[in-house]
Amino acid sequence: MNTTDILRADWPITLALAAPFITALAALACRPTVAAVRCSRLSLAATAAALTVALLAMATVLVAGPRSAPWLRLDTLGATVLLLVAFIGWVIARFSRGYLQGEADETRYARWLLATLTGAMLVLLANHLLLLTVAWWGTSFALQKLLLFYPQRAAARVAAHKKLLLSRTADACMLAACALLFAHAGTLHIDALTSLPKGESLPLVVQGAVILVAFTVVLKCAQLPFHGWLIQVMEAPTPVSALLHAGVVNLGGFVLLRLAPLVEQVAAAQVLLVMAGTTTAVVAALVMTTRISIKVSLAWSTCAQMGFMLMQCGLGLWEMALLHLVAHSLYKAHAFLGAGGTVRETMVGKLAEPVVPVTLARSLLGAVGGLLLVAGAALAWQVDAARQPALWVLGAILALALNPLLAGATPRGWLRGWASAFALAWLYFGLHELLAQWVLPGVGATSTLWWIPAIGFAALFALQTEIRLQAPWTRRLYALFYGGLFLDERVSRLLFRISPPHHP
Amino acid sequence: MNAQDLPLAAQASQLQESVEAACGRIAPTWPLDQLIAVNPYWGWVAHRSSDAAAQLGVLQGTRLTAPRPLMRSAWNGGALRVQHLRLACEAELPPAQVPAAVERMQGLLASDVPEAAPCKLPLLADLASGRLHPALSPPDALTHQISQHCAAFFDDGQAQWHPDRAQGLWGSWRHALASDAGLTWAGGRAWLQRTLDVWPTDATAALSHGLSRLPLAPAAWDAYLTGLLLSVNGWASWCAYQRWQARLQGRDDDALVQLLAIRLAWELLLEEEEQLLRQHPAWADTWATQGSAAAALQAAQRDDWLLQHAMELAHQQQLARGARVAPPEASAEPASIQAVFCIDVRSEVFRRALESTGPGIRTFGFAGFFGLPLSYSPVGSALVRPQLPGLLAPTLQVSEEGVGLGMVLRQQRQRALQWRERWASWRGAAVSGFSFVETCGPAYGLKLLARSMPGEQVPARWESTGLPTGGKPRLPSTVGLAATTDLAAGILRAMGLTSGFGSLVLLAGHGSRSDNNAHAAGLDCGACGGQAGDINARVLAGLLNDTEVREALIERGIVIAPATHFVAGLHNTTTDELELFDTDEIPAALENAVHRLRSALAQAGATARSERAPGLGLESDAPAKSLLASLRKRANDWSQVRPEWGLANNASFIVAPRQRTRHFRLDGRTFLHDYDWRQDHDLSVLTLIMTAPMVVTNWINLQYHASTVDNQRYGSGNKLLHNVVGGHLGVFEGNGGDLRIGLALQSLHDGVRWRHQPLRLSVFIEAPAQAIEAVMSAHKVVRDLVDNGWLHLLRIDPANARTETWSAGQWRELDLSE
Repeated sequence: MNTTDILRADWPITLALAAPFITALAALACRPTVAAVRCSRLSLAATAAALTVALLAMATVLVAGPRSAPWLRLDTLGATVLLLVAFIGWVIARFSRGYLQGEADETRYARWLLATLTGAMLVLLANHLLLLTVAWWGTSFALQKLLLFYPQRAAARVAAHKKLLLSRTADACMLAACALLFAHAGTLHIDALTSLPKGESLPLVVQGAVILVAFTVVLKCAQLPFHGWLIQVMEAPTPVSALLHAGVVNLGGFVLLRLAPLVEQVAAAQVLLVMAGTTTAVVAALVMTTRISIKVSLAWSTCAQMGFMLMQCGLGLWEMALLHLVAHSLYKAHAFLGAGGTVRETMVGKLAEPVVPVTLARSLLGAVGGLLLVAGAALAWQVDAARQPALWVLGAILALALNPLLAGATPRGWLRGWASAFALAWLYFGLHELLAQWVLPGVGATSTLWWIPAIGFAALFALQTEIRLQAPWTRRLYALFYGGLFLDERVSRLLFRISPPHHP
Repeated sequence: MNAQDLPLAAQASQLQESVEAACGRIAPTWPLDQLIAVNPYWGWVAHRSSDAAAQLGVLQGTRLTAPRPLMRSAWNGGALRVQHLRLACEAELPPAQVPAAVERMQGLLASDVPEAAPCKLPLLADLASGRLHPALSPPDALTHQISQHCAAFFDDGQAQWHPDRAQGLWGSWRHALASDAGLTWAGGRAWLQRTLDVWPTDATAALSHGLSRLPLAPAAWDAYLTGLLLSVNGWASWCAYQRWQARLQGRDDDALVQLLAIRLAWELLLEEEEQLLRQHPAWADTWATQGSAAAALQAAQRDDWLLQHAMELAHQQQLARGARVAPPEASAEPASIQAVFCIDVRSEVFRRALESTGPGIRTFGFAGFFGLPLSYSPVGSALVRPQLPGLLAPTLQVSEEGVGLGMVLRQQRQRALQWRERWASWRGAAVSGFSFVETCGPAYGLKLLARSMPGEQVPARWESTGLPTGGKPRLPSTVGLAATTDLAAGILRAMGLTSGFGSLVLLAGHGSRSDNNAHAAGLDCGACGGQAGDINARVLAGLLNDTEVREALIERGIVIAPATHFVAGLHNTTTDELELFDTDEIPAALENAVHRLRSALAQAGATARSERAPGLGLESDAPAKSLLASLRKRANDWSQVRPEWGLANNASFIVAPRQRTRHFRLDGRTFLHDYDWRQDHDLSVLTLIMTAPMVVTNWINLQYHASTVDNQRYGSGNKLLHNVVGGHLGVFEGNGGDLRIGLALQSLHDGVRWRHQPLRLSVFIEAPAQAIEAVMSAHKVVRDLVDNGWLHLLRIDPANARTETWSAGQWRELDLSE
């Protein structure tokens, strides 16, 4: 096969590669000497072009199927997340055009925004673990520049420094994993690695590598107790937070999805993911309810949501992890960019008369009712319980989640609540089926770790109910959760002993 | 003399006085949903402004005069000239010193010499340097701890889980600090608990306990306690708001005293932790000599005050020259359309444009709440909010009527609102968020797309959420005819509109429109408590169209012809569109007049928009239609941080008939209140103007001033970093720090230059000298503002249109020579 043949065969990949290529060129063009207005126009044009490319790439995958080349690949998973990142990138570039007008350093902003997007999109297209690692590092490097958009802010420097230390640790873990995998398999091509023979247990070297990858993801997805930096980077303009929370922090989940066939064969990595993910989801969700400022509350929410996504990865519920990744990104980008509307939202809330007080009976009734609704919706989609017991745990979590909707005070309100709850449960399993059939056919494991989230979320539901009932014993817990279990302070002391933040 | 040397009773009363004085210095800050402008120096108005500036400089490190680069650009641009420097010096210095001072100031303007940087006296926390917190210095760590605790304590819109509030701010803070494992104390948490246990549970007793352990002379308590409060000025201002509201309702609130106790406790904790007094034995002495430090700073700042005054004189001269030109005779026959606008500076541009559409239109300026002491409760909702200036307490509550069906509607609306709450809980509860994201998250993609492409539509008022259609706000029927008539008569008299009614009288409130803006209320009508003024305008129009009220008004000497109709409107200050309300009630006979009014309003809007366009970075000669479209989109753009310029660049307040100013351009820098001294025999109207609108304009003026000259301490910083606290209490800039008050940088600066020139307000009143002096002598607050240099008072002599300045207890003619 000559070069043109390869080009012809791989043209969808070449097409998709145009997205990061365009943003990279635009980033290079945003030199300090270029006028701010031009850079902001350029970044809007480049992200719009990347979005168009991502749409086309998605279309070609749907029509022509997945492609892979030695270094790059394009499949439904990659194309979906590529479309997501390109879309978020375009929304942010458009938002930033007005929002940053008059800022002293719009040029630098445009450059590093485009560079961050370039790195993230390369991660999504990589078929080589080393390329992926480098692109991931590049994303983190470029984002660091954005987090320090106001370098004179001491709090920005401290948080960015903390992130730097953890990110570099994560990069080191990832490189070590690459080395181990290469030592064993002699290749770092992802499609080769993920088609290692199944069935028998993997050699220890490979298991070690996968555990290292899982640990990298725990660090990069800001899982407890390494979450501090994510919470404290509100020292950069709002769209940077949106970019971080919607387009960067979740790359860890994508890497796990990419390496799913390997992760599924390493029980220790799964245990790590499920334990870290569940703990973070439960604790961070509770801490979120104590936060008093909108952005910090959103940051704790991201921390919890990332935990949930990693938990799903550890349970082998890959299609749900992908759904979570995409849906959370869209939700969180909107939540951050629209954070100025908090006052209005609060005031609309104050129009309502105080809600019916929670009672234990109502909560329990709602929980049982929710379970019945969810079971009904699952049956409607003929979800195979035997194949994926962990999915039933997610269903149970959904049932507990729907509790607020089921607490109608009048027959009409009651009916509305139950009907909506059923519709949502139906949608939930529908989306599951769609993604399982379409995006990630063939992957999916029968995990035996489902009891971990089952216990975790039952405890969370019980605690939430007790807090709402204002049980006296929860008063004593308040200070602990308000302080985020004081985990970050402990980790920070340790980290800063190794490398103190730089104070100019 | 130390505390120990005073007898106990004297000590207690000294403490009481010092605490009261320190708390009295803190001006309140309103929550974001009612964000009205406040003069942040309100607690200092009994002092000369230059004296207050020096004291604040010593206690807080702030400054009050315009920064020198701003003065230099006025000087280089030609707006500030030698004659202004001379006039300023002549007004403030003995004649012998004038020439030298003028020369000195010219030197300052020509050189790059920076202003004297105020040097703040250290609080004990400022001396601490330990490793209490892994990332924050002790002063930052304590600000963080206090700020986070205050936010959790006062929050009523963000968190779902709160600390125990039963013990009050001080009690709950002690508990919170004791359980804070994030701070590392040398003696450990056991030591901390023991130390905190020693403090009395009562806040005042705690202050006494704390001060008795410091070697400060009782004479320094006042300044020291003020310094402590100023170090957490954001939350102190919030607590002062609690007190302000309580006092308006005849109660009191001591959260501010409790905050002071918290801050003092931190001083002693840090002192014990690091033995600060042993390390800095002279610390107490620096506070004993605080007065002389302030005096030295005041002397060093003298030239800056002269320059500040000179800038203000330049503006005054400009206005006085305009007012001197004999106004054309008012035409004898009354205008067919009369339009009453808010005194707000943004009205001036629109009024001038409206008047230019034809001779048959007269405009008036009046406080935008139209004198109605209202609170407003959106029908069928649990919310009640004030619709009047923050200085006053509402006495009448209005709600919509005519939406029909009463209880049924209320239930329907509450059902919709309750459903919204349940949905919010499904989105935000700890257990629910995960499943919410997986089912509803994808829909946010569409929201992102839609909001990225703002359209021209008019968004619904949030107050109408859950209502099928809007209703008409009306006074409750329980208010009797006599009371209603008194109210109407009083308002018409204060407006100066008691005869010569045209066929249509437009009562135009104003409001702004912006999306995704935490400070949106700050762009609405301040006189209406940071809300749009349509409610007040509609209530008043309803009142004055009521035939019973009109009949009763005749007995009070005000005759409104049956053919006259009052119509309410709302001037949208972002798009310069003016919406009319309740037009279905306009008699058919007035169809032509309404038509004329509508076309005049449309024309005026276009003129006003093209005048404002360059300031917003738009082309002023763009086609009217596309300019309107881009302003409407701007109002709906969620990424727009400068939807409009609000009251930026306000500088003066003219209290005179419109005839005095109608012939010249005031560039949207001037508040305009109509006043005809010949009708005001008992000075009741002048008294009202000088004690209410003049104070409100001073609050607005000094809010813009303070946010410009020291945005770090009196402004809210960078909008790009704003982080709403407690759902609506205020903002943090970034992760945390103190609560921020005042205006964002983006509201004052366009990225290249300041859009607000920090000038103290120049108030021009057209009235006889004795009248103005009579009001001043009867009202201390007016005397304080005028005599202490918080605003300039000028008088336009009705006889000869000359302008005089009130200076050192007498009127002096303002020199207008070129």
